[in-house]
Amino acid sequence: MAEDRPSGLGSWGRGGREPRVYNDGVRGSDFDEVEFFRAVAESGARALLIGRRALVVLGIPVLTGDYDFWLHIDDLASFNAAVEPLGLLPTHTPEEARARGRYAVENDEHVDVLVARSVPTVDGLRVAFDEVWPRRQTLEVAPGVGIALPALDDLILTKRFGGRPKDLEDIRLLEALRSEDR
Amino acid sequence: MRPLVPPGPEALARVRALAERVLGEQEFREALAIPLGEDEVAESRSLIRWFRRRYPTPGERLAYARRAYRRWAAALPQPPHPLASDSTTRSRS
Repeated sequence: MAEDRPSGLGSWGRGGREPRVYNDGVRGSDFDEVEFFRAVAESGARALLIGRRALVVLGIPVLTGDYDFWLHIDDLASFNAAVEPLGLLPTHTPEEARARGRYAVENDEHVDVLVARSVPTVDGLRVAFDEVWPRRQTLEVAPGVGIALPALDDLILTKRFGGRPKDLEDIRLLEALRSEDR
Repeated sequence: MRPLVPPGPEALARVRALAERVLGEQEFREALAIPLGEDEVAESRSLIRWFRRRYPTPGERLAYARRAYRRWAAALPQPPHPLASDSTTRSRS
């Protein structure tokens, strides 16, 4: 976000990671969140908003600076093409991204993207995109702009991918949300 | 009342390291198995009700989240390091 992060990536160098060549030309931008979600929705890419931003959409006030998507592995090109006009450029080539199962698109914003067909939870359950996608829920974030989220139970499962204390916290909040909506 | 003294970089780094720590399978299972307390559920539900009442639409909630993050980041003695972000998709390696 332009107000929060220094322009360019120099001082944010993602310490310890290899130098990135693929997005060398990234520059700061004024980010229009609605246009971002519109671009994703209109791309036709099967993209699920996950992570804390999904909790916010559902009505849980948690702090977050990034966006997280779980993307169908075949829709990587259309997703990248859709967000490129907003200045969001990929950190890896499509081949690299598919091989490692994740990448990001970024400028001053940072969007983490999972591109694995399935992801294991920290406690050993394998969650498949093709099973989660048909159960998705779509919420309108602006008139005519829908964003796809996993069903609540599936969103809880994605929170078990990370296995960090904050993921546990989020699972508890999602369970509270479920009891609130029951 | 004493003015708030923000934590220094070293303290922040320690807190982030704790928050970003990946739990082992057993530890995670055990933590998940702890049932939610009634007070915890009531407090969380109250928070959710407030947030939904104040920001009834997903768009309003997203806008609030961006404002809240900006406020939080502005109050830090140094900008948040990206490795401290809350990404669900980060590698566990």
